[in-house]
Order: sequence, then C-alpha cells, then structure tokens
Amino acid sequence: MPLVESVTLCGVLPAVFRGDVPAESEIWLAGRVELRRGCRVCISAESGRGKSSLISFLYGSRDDYDGTILFDSTDIRSFSVDRWCDMRTRSLAILPQELCLFPELTVMENIDIKNRLTSTKTTARIIDMLARTGLSGKLHEPVGRLSLGQRQRVAAVRAVCQPFDFLLLDEPVSHLDETNNRILASLLQEEADERGAGIISTSVGNPLLLDNAEVMRL
Amino acid sequence: MRRLTLYTAGPLYRLLRRNLSVAQLAGYAMANLLGLSIILTAIQFYADVTPSGPSEESDGFIARDFMVISKRVDGISTVPPAFSEQETADLGSQPWVRRVGAFTASRFNVSASVEMGGRGMSTYMFFESIPDEFFDIRPSDWHFDPATAEFVPVIISRDYLALYNFGFAATRGLPQLSEALIGTVPVRLYLSGAGRSDTFPAYVVGFSSRLNTIAVPQSFMDWANSRYAPGSSALPSRLIVEVTSPGSPEIGRYLSERGWETAGDKAESSRALRFFTVVTSVAASIGLVILLLSVCILLLGVHLLLQKSRSTLRNLMLLGYSPRAVSALYVRLVAAVNGIVAVVATVVAIAMRGLWLGALSDMGLAAATTVLPVLIAAILSALIITFVNALSIRRTMLKFWYER
Repeated sequence: MPLVESVTLCGVLPAVFRGDVPAESEIWLAGRVELRRGCRVCISAESGRGKSSLISFLYGSRDDYDGTILFDSTDIRSFSVDRWCDMRTRSLAILPQELCLFPELTVMENIDIKNRLTSTKTTARIIDMLARTGLSGKLHEPVGRLSLGQRQRVAAVRAVCQPFDFLLLDEPVSHLDETNNRILASLLQEEADERGAGIISTSVGNPLLLDNAEVMRL
Repeated sequence: MRRLTLYTAGPLYRLLRRNLSVAQLAGYAMANLLGLSIILTAIQFYADVTPSGPSEESDGFIARDFMVISKRVDGISTVPPAFSEQETADLGSQPWVRRVGAFTASRFNVSASVEMGGRGMSTYMFFESIPDEFFDIRPSDWHFDPATAEFVPVIISRDYLALYNFGFAATRGLPQLSEALIGTVPVRLYLSGAGRSDTFPAYVVGFSSRLNTIAVPQSFMDWANSRYAPGSSALPSRLIVEVTSPGSPEIGRYLSERGWETAGDKAESSRALRFFTVVTSVAASIGLVILLLSVCILLLGVHLLLQKSRSTLRNLMLLGYSPRAVSALYVRLVAAVNGIVAVVATVVAIAMRGLWLGALSDMGLAAATTVLPVLIAAILSALIITFVNALSIRRTMLKFWYER
C-alpha cells in the first residue's frame, strides 16, 4: 500500500531566495504544483536555482523554505524523526548529488547497507542490476577507488533497493555519457513502473533520458 | 526480530568500528574498575560490620544505635520521673534523632505463674510496651486482639534468661532452659485493677537483645490499661531513641544538660561504629571520585567517537536508519563494557571480603550478612552509567539529524 499518493508544493520558496525571487519559475512560488505517483518529471535549471534544495525539502533533510509542502494532505513540517525514517525506508528513495556512499566499503556492502533495511532485493538481483550498468567487475571494489561516473551508478542502484512511491534523483547522470544515461534511465524507469512510483529528477542541461518526461523549469 | 539482528554485524558494524579507540575504552574500563571496586568493597565492609536491619535476630557486631533514656531517680519517690510531651517533642526534633518511641508501663497488677516439672512458681511482675518498629525481633504472632486472642505474646530480655540460666538455676539445681523450650511453657497471667480481675494464658514468643524489659504488644497494653486502670493516663518515664549519628558528642551534651541517663552503655560500640563509618566513607568517597572521573572520560571518548564518525552517521540516517538504531550500536558497546567492569568489580569486592570475614569469625562475630548490597550497587552503577551515556549518545545523534 503506498504511503504517499501525491506531493503538493504550495508557494514554496527557499529561504535564501526571499529578497531575490527567481523569474519564470514553474515551481518556486507557483500557486500549487501537484506531483502524483507515477509521474515522470525532469526539473531543469542552471546552477544556483535551488535544485538540490528542492530535493532536500522533499526528502525532509532541510526545512529552510517558505510556503507549504504537502504529502497527500499532510504538511511535512509536522513529520517526526521517526516518521521521516519510515518515509526514507518505505516511501522516498533518493540519489543525492553528493551520493553519500561509504568510500571504505565495497560496492556490494554499500548497497547491502540500504537493502538490509527492507530486504527488497535479492543478492542475485543486485548483481544483475550492477551488471546492467556495467559494474560487474567492481562488486567487491571499495567505492573510494571508483570513478565519479561509476559511483553515480552505484548510488542509483542503491536507491532502488527499497519500496518507494517517489524516486528523487539529484543530477543523477551528471558524469555519465549518453549510452550509460539511457541504460540507467531504463533501469530506473522499470523499477518505478514496478511500484507505480513517480520519478522526480533534476539536471543542469544533462537530463536523465526518461520516456515521456514532463520538463519543468525551476 | 529482523530489526534486532540487523545492526549487530555486517558492513554497518565494520563502518562504525573504524573510529573506535580500543586503548581509550581500555583506559576507561581500568579507571572505572578501580573506582567501582573500591566503592563495592567499602559497601561490603560496611554491610558486614553493621547489622542490616531491625528484623535481624542479633544486633550484629556494631549495634544499630538505639538508646533507652530515662530521668535520674533522686531520693525516694513512688512516682518515677516522667517525660512531658514537650520534652519528648524537643528530643524528637534533635538532628541526631531518627525517631523516638515511648515506653508504656502497665498501670494494673500483674502476677504470673508457671507450672514446671510439678513445681509451681508465681511472681508479681510488670509489663512495658513500645511501638512495634523499635523491636529488634518481630515474632509472627506479635499482636493482640481481645476478641479473638488465644494468648498474650510476651517478649523478654535475653539478659533475663542468661541471669536465670547462669545465675539462678545453676545455684539452685534447677534445669537450664533454652529459648525454644521457654517458648513452649504455658504461663498464666493474673491481671487485676479497677475492681476487675481475669486470668490469661501467655507465651514467651521471643527474646530481645535491645530491650531490658518484659514487653507485650502495644495493642494489649492499651486494652489492658483501659480495662484495669480506666481514666488514669501516665506520661512515659522511659523513651527509646534511634540515633542517626551514634557517638556524636552532641548526644552526651544534650543528655547531661538535662540530667537524663541512658540505659546500657553503648558508647564503646558507638565509637567503633563511628570509626568504621568514617573509614569506609572516606574510602567510598575516593572510589566515587575515581568512578565519576572515569565516567567523564567515557562520555568524552564516546562524544569524540561520534564526532569522528559524524559524516558516516549522517549518511546512515539519510538512508533511513533512525537515530535510535544507530545510537543502539554505541549504547550496546557502552553497556557491554560497563557490564564486564561491574562483574569484575563484584568479584574483586567479594574476594576482598574473604580477608576480613575470617578475622570477624575469629572474634566470634561471623557475619550473617550477604553480598546482596554489593550486587545491587554493581548493577545500579552499570545501569546508571549506561543510561547517562545512552542519553548523551541519543542527544548527539539527534543533533546530527537536525544539522544542515
């Protein structure tokens, strides 16, 4: 059963933009933006327009914004620590821009740390996903020795090792070529389709190549 | 169940173990062990040389300090000097007094007769009573209800039995009596006063080392006084006092100022108790200081450990690990270390006990005490230290959570 059916932003603006409202944004200060489960959204903007801030607001790791964000009809500012932990385990998956991998652990260990919270994927399935993204030779390599592009793929695979209603991707392919972009996009899309989940992805001109994605300007 | 096993092993543990300083933990464990061992040994020593409670049969090596106070009898008088209510209240308000109880004397005639081996003995006597909590013994049938009672329970001084056995019986060719035997001898009481007289069966149900009197339950005394001496009420002429700081010079000063006397010279044992109290509390204080310092080391060490692992911990919480779950790893570590220290310190204290237990039993004072206080203190210490650390860990973790 999904925990969150829709994400609604009502007049949201990062606190740092207060005196300096960005023009022509389809999200900041927009009256009411509703993103439903199953959506495919690409949010594109130049640097400094608040992409990572938006992802952090939605993921509950920051709340320095004006306006209101609703999950269904609940203001997410009212969520307790435990509620957020539950969300992050069962409803919100993330690929943060800074990746948040543990460099001293191997690729498999990094993914296991996430997967063991819910035991969503079997080891075979994880190996299969890593192979699809071209990492089959790196399973037991410490993440610290991988290139940035490789790390990005590890973090993407890790992100889908949990149940989710929304997959939040912060510049997921900034270090990937087009081929790898397409491979990752299809993998993430399959995973989201399996769950009927939505994908909210950001980019600075190198978007994740999702099918039929709605592009929004930040 | 899965959540329990989740964090015990695997990459998570390896991740967080990296910043763990074994030397720091070992340093804490040694300091804590030293402090706790000293405290536990002091507690055990104190427990062994002092009686543990009013229900103890014997008064132990050092008497818990009860004093019986009376006024000095001058000249000849038929009425003993009594304590006024004001005097009793003033005594009760002294800082060295824990509680005061009044002796109630019988105000009627009592004679008791015993049939023993075909020989009858009869004597005039008296009773006194004190509130139950002042007795060093408390027999199970120590109560009296005029409607239902089958007999009157009596407690006599152990000294009386000794006087009889070693003084009177020995010179008169009478049999020596054990405490158990006396308890089976039926006694007939003949009470009279206010134009009434009755006989009651009675049994000696216990022997007191503390009270130099023939005692009956307060309930019987109140009933009998109102029946055989109605209307008369007398102020107590003896008071029993439990003192908090035995051997204190204040006590002697207070009593001599008023010309009051204490029955039974407990001064010697009071001085011994005072000495042991000082020695053990000095030792325990040193132990406590060491213990507290070691706890500070642990708190700092754990804080440092968390700070070193800060980004790892923040990432874990970003992945969905709750602050509680990541805290649990550290709390478990702290609990394990403190548990081991508590067990070793208990063993040390019990081993030390062997050193003085032999000496005590050579003096004929084999301690009838247990190691229970030490076990309780050890468990409490481990629990409290773990709890304090758990609070601190939890707070730091929540701080990491809210950090941007």
